[in-house]
Amino acid sequence: MKDGLVGLEIEERGDIVLAHVTGELDISGAPHAGERIAEAVPTSARGLVVDMSELDFIDSSGVAMLFGLVRRLSSRRQELRVVAPKGRPVARVLEIVEFQRAAPICVDVDAALAGID
Amino acid sequence: MRVQARSLAYLFIAGAALGLLTLVFPHGENVDDIALVVLAGVATLIAVAMWLWADRVRPWQLHAALASGTIILSLANYFVEATVIYPLMYTWTALFAFYFFRVEVALAHIALIAVSYAVVLIVVDPPSAVVRWLLAVGTPLIAGLLISRLLGQLRFGVHDAERRTRALQESEARTRLVLDGAPDAFVSLDRDGVIKAWNSAAERLFGWSASEAIGVPFRSLVTPEEFRERHDQRRMALIDTPEVVATQRYDAEFLRRDGTRFPADATVSKIEIKGEPFVSGFIRDVSERERRQQERETLLREQAARAEAERVAELVSGMQLLVDAALEHTRLDKMLEDLIMRVRGVLQADAATILLADEDERLSVAASSVPDATDGEEDERQEPIGLGEGFAGRVARAREAMLAHDPAPADLPDPALRRIEVDSLIGVPLLAENRVTGVLVAASVAPRRFSPEDLAVLRLAADRVALAIQHARIYEREHKIAVTLQRSMLLPPEDIPQPPGLRVAARYEPAATEADVGGDWYDVIPTPTGGLGLVMGDVAGKGLTAATMVSRLRAALRAYALEGHEPARVIEQLNRLVWNEGRDSQMATLIYMVVEPGESRVDWVNAGHPAPLLVNGTDSPHYLEGATSVPLGVLPFPSYETVTSSMEPGSSLVLFTDGLIERPGELIDDGMAKLAARVSEAPDDPEALCNYLLSTLVPRGGATDDVAILTLRNLPYSDRFRANFKAEPEALSQMRSLLRRWLRHGGASERTIAEVATACGEAATNAIEHSGAAHDFELSGRLVNDEIELIVRDHGRWRQPREGDHGRGLSLMRALMDTVELTPSPEGTTVRLRRRLESDGGSE
Repeated sequence: MKDGLVGLEIEERGDIVLAHVTGELDISGAPHAGERIAEAVPTSARGLVVDMSELDFIDSSGVAMLFGLVRRLSSRRQELRVVAPKGRPVARVLEIVEFQRAAPICVDVDAALAGID
Repeated sequence: MRVQARSLAYLFIAGAALGLLTLVFPHGENVDDIALVVLAGVATLIAVAMWLWADRVRPWQLHAALASGTIILSLANYFVEATVIYPLMYTWTALFAFYFFRVEVALAHIALIAVSYAVVLIVVDPPSAVVRWLLAVGTPLIAGLLISRLLGQLRFGVHDAERRTRALQESEARTRLVLDGAPDAFVSLDRDGVIKAWNSAAERLFGWSASEAIGVPFRSLVTPEEFRERHDQRRMALIDTPEVVATQRYDAEFLRRDGTRFPADATVSKIEIKGEPFVSGFIRDVSERERRQQERETLLREQAARAEAERVAELVSGMQLLVDAALEHTRLDKMLEDLIMRVRGVLQADAATILLADEDERLSVAASSVPDATDGEEDERQEPIGLGEGFAGRVARAREAMLAHDPAPADLPDPALRRIEVDSLIGVPLLAENRVTGVLVAASVAPRRFSPEDLAVLRLAADRVALAIQHARIYEREHKIAVTLQRSMLLPPEDIPQPPGLRVAARYEPAATEADVGGDWYDVIPTPTGGLGLVMGDVAGKGLTAATMVSRLRAALRAYALEGHEPARVIEQLNRLVWNEGRDSQMATLIYMVVEPGESRVDWVNAGHPAPLLVNGTDSPHYLEGATSVPLGVLPFPSYETVTSSMEPGSSLVLFTDGLIERPGELIDDGMAKLAARVSEAPDDPEALCNYLLSTLVPRGGATDDVAILTLRNLPYSDRFRANFKAEPEALSQMRSLLRRWLRHGGASERTIAEVATACGEAATNAIEHSGAAHDFELSGRLVNDEIELIVRDHGRWRQPREGDHGRGLSLMRALMDTVELTPSPEGTTVRLRRRLESDGGSE
């Protein structure tokens, strides 16, 4: 479904939650999207994969959303992986803010799922 | 015969008188007086007989009388022995004979005279030898000549008789032929009713041949059982009439040979042939005539029914006039004026008045039609009439139709009525939803009793008038709501969004004459991606129904548009709305176009609306045609297609409703060509363009139909731009769109565009966070020697970014741009970003 500029689809792959984020993620949609993703992750889940391979735009508020998720999940000992193919604007932004220090960035969903044990 | 008999009578009287006179005067002794008296007596008797039976005398009796006269004359000559006077009498009788009889009779009589006179002469006075010779030769000669002539005549007569017999036979044959060939059956019966004659028409009519019919009693052959008695009676009655000839005509029924019956018309005559009475008659089959008669009667009945139907139809059409009047007018006062005239017409009343009740059930004259009411004198104003006051008040209280004769002036419901001599009043209450909404009164000046029929008509009229008033009141209420609704739906010019890079203007010109609110509408909707949705629509119909549908369409369209659906899907949703919920097969045309800032294209879908006009760059205007689909509400699942047309910077779009291109008596194609021509010469600025189109295409004094125009200009790209945005998160997307478009035109790579948009977005996000929601921020850009410079200026105070989330914005800007300058001031903060176009920008 779509919420303003942001499209958000959440599915469960076993005990891993997979969130596909599409569209443009800025201050107008990011805080809300972050809330919704966080709520979709039960305490029983092992981890969360945020798929940003189809996301056209991200700014610091989107990045803030990701950091927020990292914080919430790590407090529950759940893992977070972000999917952002190299060469895309999103990957570039995540690189600049050195997001890989907080959570791994994967090239595709399969790699991300495989990374969570 | 009568004249001859009378003349003979005179002749004999004259002869008798002559004989008696001879006795009176001195005469010879040889005269036998007694014989002369006897002769005179005989002549007198014959004269008397001729006179008395002059009417019944037969021709032979006349001849005999004349001949006896000659004999008497000869005897008189003999007895008187005078041969001088009496020949005068001979001359007279001969002349008489010639005058009164046919020539042969006269000649025969003259021959008789010649013979008798010669005998008398010879007996009485033996003449001299010469005279005797003359008499002996002359008398036979004359007599012979006469007799031969007579014989010739007789021979002629014989020929004549033969000829006449032949003619008679021919005539009889002809008669038979005529009778035989007569179209009607000819039947002749004897006294006992046995058939004696039977023509071929009779054969055809009854089915019996002449040989079968003749000799058979008529009644047993063709008279139905139940009529046989009557047949006998009728026949005998006819035969027993004393008249020689008698004719009767009557309707009868006969049987054909095959047993079928038929009605007939019989003309029967009694004739006597050689003393034997016969009944003959013509019989005509009248089943055809009766059928025609029946048809005629049916026709007459139908005509009568039609006349009745026409009368009813006239009444109904009178009623229809009332209803039409009720429907024609949208304003109550106009409608009432028209209605009152028509009520007068239908009732043929001299005056009529409608009084309407207010909330307190007090009646006031709402419309009146009184003759000579225009003579300038002002009628006194009447206080509202309460229930039970005056004639109208009584009608209202009784809720019943009422009649009044010779009303008192105070009873008259309308002061105008006091100026005419009202003889009779008729009034009915106007009832709506069990409430008296008014009273309808008609007045007659001429002495007249309004009939129950008039009352029925007025009641019918009242029903319709009440309904019409109800409708008009509802309409007025609806009209007010519709106008309010419509006004609330059309964006006021100052509320039309003007995203950077686009300029929009709209106009709505209501029709000059229409009292009704039209279904034309437009809308300009900001899309989530910073673009604009342009809507131009026309809901079929007018008034509240149309306005309601417009408001629903508008709300739905805004909702779907904000969800970011592609235009064709939005239109499909709207079609479902109109199809499912539109009243009375409601229908709407609509065009929906989406223009994204930064994109040189327009995505559009057209549901049966007049094609919009696109002026692409410097090209001449052209209509976006070809992908027009059915209007909304026509099909349950029509297919709509989103069409993408290129729209370079500097292009204009003109959307409109048909009121702009339709002119009574003009072809739409002409209207469209005219519009294209006006647009091509119009100024670029959308506001100016709208004004130009209205001033050149809409007639002075207003259009005949509502006109809506929506114009958009995709501002041309330039090396510089400046745009204002609302300081709210939703503006970011718009800003990025504009920026991308500008950068693309400047030749930036996609990667550069994405990174500059991110950096600029960070600056703008800061500006939004620093400013209050009531403020704007400004983005301006310029391109100098392949270096772009972007300046974001806000009216808030720069806050030093804390470590963490917010600090990331600044580091992103720095990473993505070549230089970032922050200049806080009391009026606001300015962020200046620079980057060379060929540079990859930022560090890895």
